[in-house]
Amino acid sequence: MIRGLRRNWNRLLGSIFHRNRDTDLAEELHSHIQMLAEEEIRRGIQPQEAYRRAKLQFGSVESVKESYRDQRGLPVIDALAQDLRYALRGIRRNPAYALVATLSLALGIGANTAIFSLVNSVLLQPLAYKNPHRLFAVREISPLFAALGPVAVNPVHAREWAAQCQSIEQVTLVRGGPAQVAGGTEPVAVPGARVPHNFFSLFGVEPFLGRAFLPEEEQEGNDRVAIISETLWRSRFQADPSLVGKPIIIDGEKHQLAGIVANSFRPPFARTAEVFRPLALSRAESARRTGNHNYAAVVRLKPGFTSEQALAEINVVQAGFGQGMKATLIPLHEIVAGRARQGLWMLAASVGAVLLIVCVNLANLLLSRITSRGREAAIRAALGASRGRQFCQILTESMLIAISGGALGILFANWAIKLLLATATLDIPRLAEVRIDSGVLLFAICLTLLTGILFGALPAWRFTRNQPQSALRAGSHTVTEGRRGLRLREGLIGLEVGLSAALLIVAGLLASSLTRLLQVDKGFDASHVLTLNVGLAGNSYAEPAARERFFDRLLTKVSAIPGVQESGFTTALPAQGDTWNDPIYLEGDGRRREERYPVNNRYASPGFFRAMNIPMRYGRAFEESDRGRSVAVLSDKAAKLLWPGETNPVGRRFIGEDDQPKTLVGIVAEVRAVLDRQPPPTAYYPYWQRPPNAVSMVVRTTAGPFTAAGALRAALRSEDPQLPVQAMQTMEELVDRSVVERRFQLTLMGAFSASALLVASLGIYGIVAYSVARRRNEIGIRMALGARRSQLHWLVIRQGMKPVVIGLVAGIAVALFLGQAIRGLLFEVHPADPVTIAGTAGLLLIVGALACFIPARQTAGGDAIAALRFD
Amino acid sequence: MSTKAEVWQGTLALMVLKTLHAMGTQHGFGIARRIEQTSDNLLSINHGTLYPILLKLEQEGAIKSEWGVSENNRRARFYSITRSGLKQLAAEVDQWERATEIVARFVALKDSKA
Repeated sequence: MIRGLRRNWNRLLGSIFHRNRDTDLAEELHSHIQMLAEEEIRRGIQPQEAYRRAKLQFGSVESVKESYRDQRGLPVIDALAQDLRYALRGIRRNPAYALVATLSLALGIGANTAIFSLVNSVLLQPLAYKNPHRLFAVREISPLFAALGPVAVNPVHAREWAAQCQSIEQVTLVRGGPAQVAGGTEPVAVPGARVPHNFFSLFGVEPFLGRAFLPEEEQEGNDRVAIISETLWRSRFQADPSLVGKPIIIDGEKHQLAGIVANSFRPPFARTAEVFRPLALSRAESARRTGNHNYAAVVRLKPGFTSEQALAEINVVQAGFGQGMKATLIPLHEIVAGRARQGLWMLAASVGAVLLIVCVNLANLLLSRITSRGREAAIRAALGASRGRQFCQILTESMLIAISGGALGILFANWAIKLLLATATLDIPRLAEVRIDSGVLLFAICLTLLTGILFGALPAWRFTRNQPQSALRAGSHTVTEGRRGLRLREGLIGLEVGLSAALLIVAGLLASSLTRLLQVDKGFDASHVLTLNVGLAGNSYAEPAARERFFDRLLTKVSAIPGVQESGFTTALPAQGDTWNDPIYLEGDGRRREERYPVNNRYASPGFFRAMNIPMRYGRAFEESDRGRSVAVLSDKAAKLLWPGETNPVGRRFIGEDDQPKTLVGIVAEVRAVLDRQPPPTAYYPYWQRPPNAVSMVVRTTAGPFTAAGALRAALRSEDPQLPVQAMQTMEELVDRSVVERRFQLTLMGAFSASALLVASLGIYGIVAYSVARRRNEIGIRMALGARRSQLHWLVIRQGMKPVVIGLVAGIAVALFLGQAIRGLLFEVHPADPVTIAGTAGLLLIVGALACFIPARQTAGGDAIAALRFD
Repeated sequence: MSTKAEVWQGTLALMVLKTLHAMGTQHGFGIARRIEQTSDNLLSINHGTLYPILLKLEQEGAIKSEWGVSENNRRARFYSITRSGLKQLAAEVDQWERATEIVARFVALKDSKA
């Protein structure tokens, strides 16, 4: 056993270091024969005869050498080494091909690896929670909000699920909201969340310092405790562990710091939260059995129960809360990946298609090179090379290129991922977890090997299919490819064109979606508008009157800033979400609350409509003179909901979201709450009717929006130096952020489809140029017989375009199917948009015709004699 | 036909090892001659067939070789047995003895028809 191992090891070494041994052996054998001969000579034999006898006794030197060689190395390695030498020689002979092939594969494999690492961490890796497969998000289905689809959760309902459902281990709730934290030089406003005491244990996470919340801390009055993130602890509290258990100031109130959670804990629905506080439901909230769908809910199922069982139990409980009440369970994984899922799969499929096109193209290139080596194959076969050996030899060449491309590709992917992570604006969940780990590396290696086989196997198979006799017979100078070979290569071109067409159409659909989205009538004018969030917290603002006074003074100061044309504020900016859905109704409406019209409710200052350039349809905006009067402004749609038949209901009365009567003073145009959705009906009330805790200032400036930033900041500071000044953003930036994901998808899809087009056109050019060269004789004869140049052009182009047209038709069919699959990513564009499809077809036909025309011109440009002489 | 015996399959390695063990360092020619002499020239070998066996033994680590100068001032490769070669030799001798003993018993078998 050991002896056998040692022998194989030495044979392996022998395979690698064998050069000197050949001359060594020759010398050794030579001196052996010499000794034999000398012995004979000493016996008195003539030297010539002595040598003859010596050789006779020794036996065949060549056969010794041969069996020596066979034994010296391992046959597999020797064959491989030989193939590698051939492959390297082939590459050296044609470095341009090897370079293009390696680089295109590097880009293809690199892009695939980068996209896979995204898919892997965002979609495939299990969530970093305990037993994540048992976690589900719950949304309620309520007839009241039928138009909105499933909505957030009422906390009373959630409490009943936990109490009554056998299959549920725990239910937790989350409600996000900002928190102002004092500490350091000035206060900061950070994202926060209100959570029940079981929130951390449900996810299987404990604060690494301190403790989680206690059940009694969910009582109003006991809830002045906080758990903060590691980031906040380090940046604001110098990572001081002794602070745990001591008070810190949040929203102007003393809170006991209960614990610190690690940064790796990114809970769903509170992904960016830095401050967690206990969720203490007010008495009023605990009693509301309808409406109040303001909480996100996550349930953990008991082991052994399915989500169907849990849902059935929850629906039984739901039925008790009103007719038609239901719920839906969504695997937490889908919530976390969210909208990114469909887009990522689309990108992964597309980048795979690009690599496939690259492979097909390389296979085609390799095919034409191999066809010109048909004689070589025939001679080798005639000399006894087995088909297997020939197959392996071609495959070795493609593998060598694939492996170098793959290695480069992994470097490229690493670089691409770093670039992606640096693009901080991209809001893809779990983006921070993206990296090249062993799984991704394994993927890249498998992909590399697959690629090598994919583009090497077909040409290698063709190579071995050559009939030695016919190849040796056909033509004295060249071996031409038969009809079958050409058809195979046309099929490959058709495949390339088809895939490119599908990619181009998808990219085109996305592009027109984004264009339409950017040009959509948002209902407001985002240019020259600066926004700033202002939040009031703490005892000094506990009274509504104090908040009203603060906002009054702030508005006066801001409107006095030079360069500020208009200024105002609202509780929720347009295009930043469909929020605060509560019904408004007419006096004497006997219907139940859930049957009334839900609208988006906003409290705003009079200047808001002018600052955002929201057009007035009828009447006027509310004004300072309306103080003390109960007034409101409705959007067109909201007014139509209340008074369907009236064109101008200004002056009529209705009941607002606070159940108080309002007089309608004006009707404004629709404003989009979510950019890619139809605008919701909206009601606006003057802020003094219910002074809010947090608003977004909007300031329209004459010059660039940031010219007012310094003065705005100073105005806020002078009003209350304890208030954190949050980052200012232009309205355009905010709008842009809601299309950043689409832009990302479109950029990548654009790059993918452009490279597909490029590669495919190179492929078309290659095959046409090749077939033109092959038919040079024929073309020469046609010219000599008087064919016109244009006729010859047409001849070549017609033949070259045949696979393009077939591929195009197939590609459009595929794209129609794909369009349905990516419907959710489109905006106001039909998946079978005729303009996009026609444009793509036109582009491909033009590019294809160009790729055919260039080689066609070259041949027909020469004279007949030269073409006839050419072999 | 020659009256000389052919070398039995697999026994040449044993002969090479035994020769090197008995004579110490030796070149290929010397080993071949010695094997012939030991067999009183009853055994005929093609000297060339020795070399693949020498290679195999060297790969197995049973022998080692280095270049030197022969008694006639000729460059030659000299082989010598290694420690693991000695073990291998002992094992092969043992195996050979058992094999010949078994064959001998068959040869000594009485004719049952008698």
